[in-house]
Amino acid sequence: MANFGGAYNTIAFDANKCDGCGDCMTACATAKVGVGDTARSRIQIVGSADDGFELALCRQCADPKCVTVCPAAALTKNYASGVIDWNGDKCVDCLLCTVGCAYAGIALDAGTGHVAKCDTCDGAPACVPACPHDALTYVTTSRIYNEVGDWEDLFAPGLAGCQGCNTELLMRHTLRRVGPETVLATPPGCVPGMGSVGFNGTTGTKIPVFHPLLTNTAAMLAGIKRQYKRVGREVNALAIAGDGGASDVGFQSLSGAAERNEQILFMVVDNEGYMNTGMQRSSCTPYGAWTSTTPIGKGSGGMPAQGKTQDAKNLPLIMVNHRCEYVATASTAYMEDLYDKLDRAIQASKRGFAYLHVYSPCTTGWRFPTDQNMEVARKAVETNFVMLWEYNRTDGLRFTRPVDDPLPVTEYLKAMGRFRHLSPDQISHIQAKVVENLAFVKQMAHRQSA
Amino acid sequence: MTTAILETPSQTKPAKQKVMLVEGNEAAALGVALARPDMVAVYPITPQSSLVEHVAKLIADGKMDADIVDAEGEHSVLSVLQGGALAGARTYTATCGPGLAFMFEPYFRTSGMRLPIVMSIVTRDGITPQSVWGGHQDAMTVREVGWVQVYCETVQEVLDTTIMAFKIAEHHDVMLPVNVCLDGNYLSYGTSRVELPDQAEVDAFMGVKDVNWHVALDPLRPMAVDPLTGGSGGKGPSTFVRYRKGQCKGMQNSLRVIEEVHAEWAQRFGRSFAPLVEEYRLEGADYAIMTLGSMTGAAKDAIDEARDAGKKVGLIKIKTFSPFPVDALMKSLDKVQAVGVVDRSVGFRWNCGPMYQETMGVLYRLGRHIPSMSFIGGLAGADITVGHFHRVIEATEKLLSAPAPIEPVWLNEKD
Repeated sequence: MANFGGAYNTIAFDANKCDGCGDCMTACATAKVGVGDTARSRIQIVGSADDGFELALCRQCADPKCVTVCPAAALTKNYASGVIDWNGDKCVDCLLCTVGCAYAGIALDAGTGHVAKCDTCDGAPACVPACPHDALTYVTTSRIYNEVGDWEDLFAPGLAGCQGCNTELLMRHTLRRVGPETVLATPPGCVPGMGSVGFNGTTGTKIPVFHPLLTNTAAMLAGIKRQYKRVGREVNALAIAGDGGASDVGFQSLSGAAERNEQILFMVVDNEGYMNTGMQRSSCTPYGAWTSTTPIGKGSGGMPAQGKTQDAKNLPLIMVNHRCEYVATASTAYMEDLYDKLDRAIQASKRGFAYLHVYSPCTTGWRFPTDQNMEVARKAVETNFVMLWEYNRTDGLRFTRPVDDPLPVTEYLKAMGRFRHLSPDQISHIQAKVVENLAFVKQMAHRQSA
Repeated sequence: MTTAILETPSQTKPAKQKVMLVEGNEAAALGVALARPDMVAVYPITPQSSLVEHVAKLIADGKMDADIVDAEGEHSVLSVLQGGALAGARTYTATCGPGLAFMFEPYFRTSGMRLPIVMSIVTRDGITPQSVWGGHQDAMTVREVGWVQVYCETVQEVLDTTIMAFKIAEHHDVMLPVNVCLDGNYLSYGTSRVELPDQAEVDAFMGVKDVNWHVALDPLRPMAVDPLTGGSGGKGPSTFVRYRKGQCKGMQNSLRVIEEVHAEWAQRFGRSFAPLVEEYRLEGADYAIMTLGSMTGAAKDAIDEARDAGKKVGLIKIKTFSPFPVDALMKSLDKVQAVGVVDRSVGFRWNCGPMYQETMGVLYRLGRHIPSMSFIGGLAGADITVGHFHRVIEATEKLLSAPAPIEPVWLNEKD
């Protein structure tokens, strides 16, 4: 019963993207039986009641009914891989399993006369890359759960974030990853607002934590790190800062520390404004966005006020131009990507300045329902409004999740209230900016890798 | 003729000392090196620059084992040191004028966190009007922020006080940052003979470093540093009050510790400086003038000449300006019938010098009416000469028989 209670990788299906082309079935049949006979594929795309498509595929259940009903013990849950294994030597071909499964995940293969089911191709499912519409993905986030789940959560239970905020998730994961030999700086903003430094003598964190000023996070951390280095102690210096403190008033100390290549990991949680203090504009606020200091109004002289009139400052690109040890952008909608980057950032911070910029949709300030945080974060990436990339001096800049066929930016904008007022001209401006930004980063990726 | 208000111990133990000819900024740097800080953060500004250049060279030459951080501005300079101190480092920097103004945000916070950082202020007048010259306006502007502030009169006093400042700051009853103020131009660049204490003797004087026993950012003893307090409910208000009251207590304790440390210094190194208030030829004086910093040298010469001319005038010099040495000054003022106070900066709110304003408070507590007046001189690098001090003496003498003027006298107005 190894890994009981653990998590496994799974094949996920997005019905909205599927057009029923059947390429996945052809790939599966080819991989498994050597011929492209879709009838013999272990993945079956079938018509749904709403004229779309749905998936008939083994879910590799944790409580598998096929296993329960099998009278011959031919089906077993493999707790190492998570896959339901079928043993042909034991199978009596009674087909009870096909009745037991609610997902039509196991079926008779007429070509062999036995049942057949998905075995995930040993962790490299052939169907996933065959899908031309990205409707299938092989989700490997189980690694995070399995690796990190048992590590100590270094924050107190019940941090006081807004409902639906992803920053608590980010903080808990980051701290688990960095570990207890860390000094944590949380400058004024949502992170200490959630109680990380505590109130009136209580603390929200199990490791050394402090409020720097909004302006001096990088400098204070540099002093801490240097002293431990001087006395020969290995201590991580970590900042979890907001975009305002980093891109506006704290930028000087950030830039100075990066130039001096101080050995610290500076993580910016970019919710595109001063959300903790009531949703005021920062230089990371995007063009057109409503904030409490870029409100919507009639204006004067026929010029209505329609949100922020300038484009956002691209802080991570500015950090790239400091030639930091490591710079990356990340999103909590892509946790595997985020974890890879967190690992690399931690390692880089032992050599010099590492900067991680995490986009963090704000349910309260951006005005979207509290259950939509991951969806908004995902849409930002799928529209290329946000680009996920990483940089180091040796390999240059590279996209980690390139989006070659982006959705129109309106798919992102319409997900939240802060853009509700946008005029067609403003939307055009934002779409043009997305294209321009993408071209700029692409050029940079090309040039830096060359 | 110099007599400290505190009884100085007998100077029977001549220490090994090297004699050098240095400017005040170099004297400060030599003092810093002898105090063995772990971390120095620097950003240059006139007239402090040669001080941090000397520090950098001492480190580059291996004569000082400290981590030097060339920060991108004064705000980060002090912030780096806060981090260093919270991790256990003995820390030092220097600044002045606009640099101090830029540093104000972390400056205010240093005393609140009780971090024993030592910082020289190579005093400079405030801009605007644009000026790069000396004056006490910078240090005076931050006199109400909870740092201990001492002013030096001579280059030797700069050297010795810089070392003493670390011991005062790190005393467990104090745990406050200390500014050693040396007059821009007059002390920073003024070159004098100094005696350089022996390193082993200074080590013995300094004792064991213990910087962050009270507050630390250390995984071995995790704590939340500076959690939110205050507000109007729960434990907030009382927590905040206890913090503040503790700061004020540390300030008051420092008056005693400054005296003790100066006494120990005199005993070990054979040089004594009045720790809080110095009286010069005050015995038998009918009236006194009050000074601060390097101007005192010219003032003492003027007093000598006036005494020779039969005037019954003495001098009171303030060394420790913050906390204001109320009791010590009260004892000195009680010996005279009138006082003229010379400031090297202005107090905009009262239309007088800041030290005069403080003195008026002390006079009120004394409970005996002594006529007084304010003189303002030496702004933006102007010299306060012996001649100026004779004007001060004459004007103060008139207070014995005529009403005191409300307006300050601007000494360099017609120079």
